[in-house]
Amino acid sequence: MPIDDPLNLNRVMPAEGMGIAHMEYNAIVADLLDFIAVDGPDEAAFNRMALRLFAYQFENNKPFAKFIRARGKTPRTVQSWTDIPAVPINAFKTLDLTCCPHVDAVAVFMTSGTTLGGLRGKSYHSTLEVYDASMSRNFAKRFMVGREQMDMGILFPTTAMMPNSSLAHYLSLAVQTFGTSGSAHLIGDDGIDFERLMAHLTRAEETGQPYGLLGASFSLVHVLDELQRRGQTVRLPKGSRILDTGGFKGQSRELDLDEFYDALYHTFGVPRSHCINMYGMTELSTQFYDDGNAVCPSVKSGPHWIRTRVVNPLTGAAVAKGKAGVLAHTDLAHFNIVTTILTEDAGIETDYGFLLLGRATGAEAQGCSMAVDEFLKAAGAA
Amino acid sequence: MAERAGYLPGLDADALQWEAHNYGPREASLLVLLPVLKGEQITTVTQYVRSQACARLKALPVGQIVDAIDLAVARLLDRQDPYRRKMDNLLPVITGYDREMVRLGLTGYLKTFRKPELQRFLVEDFTNPSILDDFQPLAKGGFGRAFGPDVLGHIWAGNVPGLPLWSLAAGLLVKAGNVGKVSSAEPLFAGWFAQVLAEVEPDLADCLAVVWWRGGDAEPETALLHQADLVLGYGRNESLAAIQSRMPITTRFLAYGHKVSFALVSAAALDPSRAVATARLAAYDVARYDQQGCYAPHVVFVERGGAVSPETFAHYVAHGLAALERKFPRGLLSMAETSGVAAWRHSEEMTAGGQVFGDEAGAWTVSYQAEDTAFRPSGLNRTIRIVAVDTLAVVPTIVAPFKALLQTVGIAAPPKELFALAAALGEVGVTRIAALGDMTTPEAGWHHDGRFNLQDLVEITEIDGRAEAASDRLAPYVD
Repeated sequence: MPIDDPLNLNRVMPAEGMGIAHMEYNAIVADLLDFIAVDGPDEAAFNRMALRLFAYQFENNKPFAKFIRARGKTPRTVQSWTDIPAVPINAFKTLDLTCCPHVDAVAVFMTSGTTLGGLRGKSYHSTLEVYDASMSRNFAKRFMVGREQMDMGILFPTTAMMPNSSLAHYLSLAVQTFGTSGSAHLIGDDGIDFERLMAHLTRAEETGQPYGLLGASFSLVHVLDELQRRGQTVRLPKGSRILDTGGFKGQSRELDLDEFYDALYHTFGVPRSHCINMYGMTELSTQFYDDGNAVCPSVKSGPHWIRTRVVNPLTGAAVAKGKAGVLAHTDLAHFNIVTTILTEDAGIETDYGFLLLGRATGAEAQGCSMAVDEFLKAAGAA
Repeated sequence: MAERAGYLPGLDADALQWEAHNYGPREASLLVLLPVLKGEQITTVTQYVRSQACARLKALPVGQIVDAIDLAVARLLDRQDPYRRKMDNLLPVITGYDREMVRLGLTGYLKTFRKPELQRFLVEDFTNPSILDDFQPLAKGGFGRAFGPDVLGHIWAGNVPGLPLWSLAAGLLVKAGNVGKVSSAEPLFAGWFAQVLAEVEPDLADCLAVVWWRGGDAEPETALLHQADLVLGYGRNESLAAIQSRMPITTRFLAYGHKVSFALVSAAALDPSRAVATARLAAYDVARYDQQGCYAPHVVFVERGGAVSPETFAHYVAHGLAALERKFPRGLLSMAETSGVAAWRHSEEMTAGGQVFGDEAGAWTVSYQAEDTAFRPSGLNRTIRIVAVDTLAVVPTIVAPFKALLQTVGIAAPPKELFALAAALGEVGVTRIAALGDMTTPEAGWHHDGRFNLQDLVEITEIDGRAEAASDRLAPYVD
């Protein structure tokens, strides 16, 4: 596993009394797997687990403990999961947020590093057992909706091509767990394999077996563009579904969501209600889904082991329901790193989840003054 | 009641498409109608302004233009004047800035456009301003006369209320017809000024226009760029680059883009009797217009070795910001702005040797840095990085990589140091040195981004010294 620390400077020595720490670690993994498996545990159970993980991270991750103390908190003073200070996702770039030594990590998921200074946010996973359980249970419910297996095409590179991508892992897991033997990744070293994709789509049309097309939103846009260029459309069988993720920010082309889902329907014959958008982050081990995109923006929600609050990013206080704020997630499955994170995504709380409004940052000065992003861009060009 | 933006001589207002924009909080919102102009209408209005400017404005002596602007400004300095009342009442709603800050800011700003200041403005660029009226003897021999463009195009930003007056006044002084595009962030001031000017000097009424089009609509913009003889652009580098890409090669484009400013506090200024007042002035520069102007400081470098430590000074600045928040509360922030401040604050917290303090509601933030001397912009909206350095002499080296972006430096230091620092800073691209507290209020006749405001707008027609001698030989009275 490539780890971006050749000299091992970040090496955290195993805690003293390794035996006890290890017992607690094993118990946490076992209890989390149970927690994920049960149906609808109550608020108190969520709170207990969140506080237990908070104490565990405080104990086993010095940079995290320092951050929490700087916010004037300790596990003693925090009684509710909503009071756990949220770690800004920026901190994943500079702080060493892991409870296990790097060398013991089985996977390191990194952000793309296209933002400030090219630093990449990192999440070290001591095991993928919990991540995989979280992903599978949630995916089964929200994307498969009762179906055990499906023919799938993945419009994203494989884990071998992108070992540090959480999305590559997610999609590989999807195809391994829920894909039939005829499923495949449709992106190779040379980009999207359109011939293979067309073969998949044609086969689905002929056999009448529902087909799942999953991938990055912008890869789907490339496919839409190419099929339009070729003047081709397909009518995928009833029950087929499309999953897109990532949106279009920073891509060569930004599409209006309605335009995008209309185009998916016209090109593949998959109704918008069966086009699912997944919202996930490298800094989480759990994903959010909507129930289709018949109406945009759609309401996103997650399973019972993740909770979302809409907060004022400056004060951390919850904003009134119906008002826009920044999303803070408490994801029990991200137990080895940090469970409560402050994103840079704007959203609005609704009865059944939240509306995702896009990136909250990217603030621009109104005139000749400069915001940080603009400065870095201009300084880079200067 | 809706307020109409723009000033459109030669166009029938009722025949135009108007777009409604809401400003301010829901409970006290203001409806503004913006004229959605198309390329053809821009061409019409620009041609009309050109013909009127050529017929009327060009014939006026510059002294009369000064008088006309002075009259208009006098009206706007009168707090009972209906247009001034509109400015005081509506600009805070439009921009979100505190009412008192806008009122005081406008008065201070308008004062720099009275007759004596305009005269200073003129002589700063033309030793003999009559060169705008007639041929004047040149030092090298011969005669010269300065001609402004027939049409000066302006693309304004909306960050600071009143900003368009700078370039409008400059355009009028060089006798150019003016067509300016307002930003939807502040679309009203320029139109009001044009109306007042038209009232006090009807001769000028048709020599300027204030227009608008939808952001991203390249057609009307291209029409203006092709009709104007010279274009001034203010704002974000990206928008300016887009404009530049559409400029005809024969038209000059003067772009005033992104700039950052900072401040220096010498150990000599850090004695206990003065440090608090100095910090208060620095806080004022940070608070005024919530750092939306390019002259607002992002970083304050404070020298160690004074009686008051840089860390204590940082606390004084924090105190000053807290006091200013009570006096002139910061404007309401958008989600994106709040997030920008939060992201900045969070990244400042992550540095080694950093201390971040701010008020609970996030209205202001001071980041004190004892080790990390990097030059990085603030999170805007009353956020300031205070950096301790062993000597201010290191600062020019720290900022040198950002040469193209530097503008104002506020300095609190004794005279000898002031001039030494100014020389070193000038070498790395700084174009203005100001006292703390004055950073955001440039004086009349200042050289914006180091340039000549009026000279840059004109072309000199010169009569070669020998031409004069040669013509002598052709005089009817030649012997």
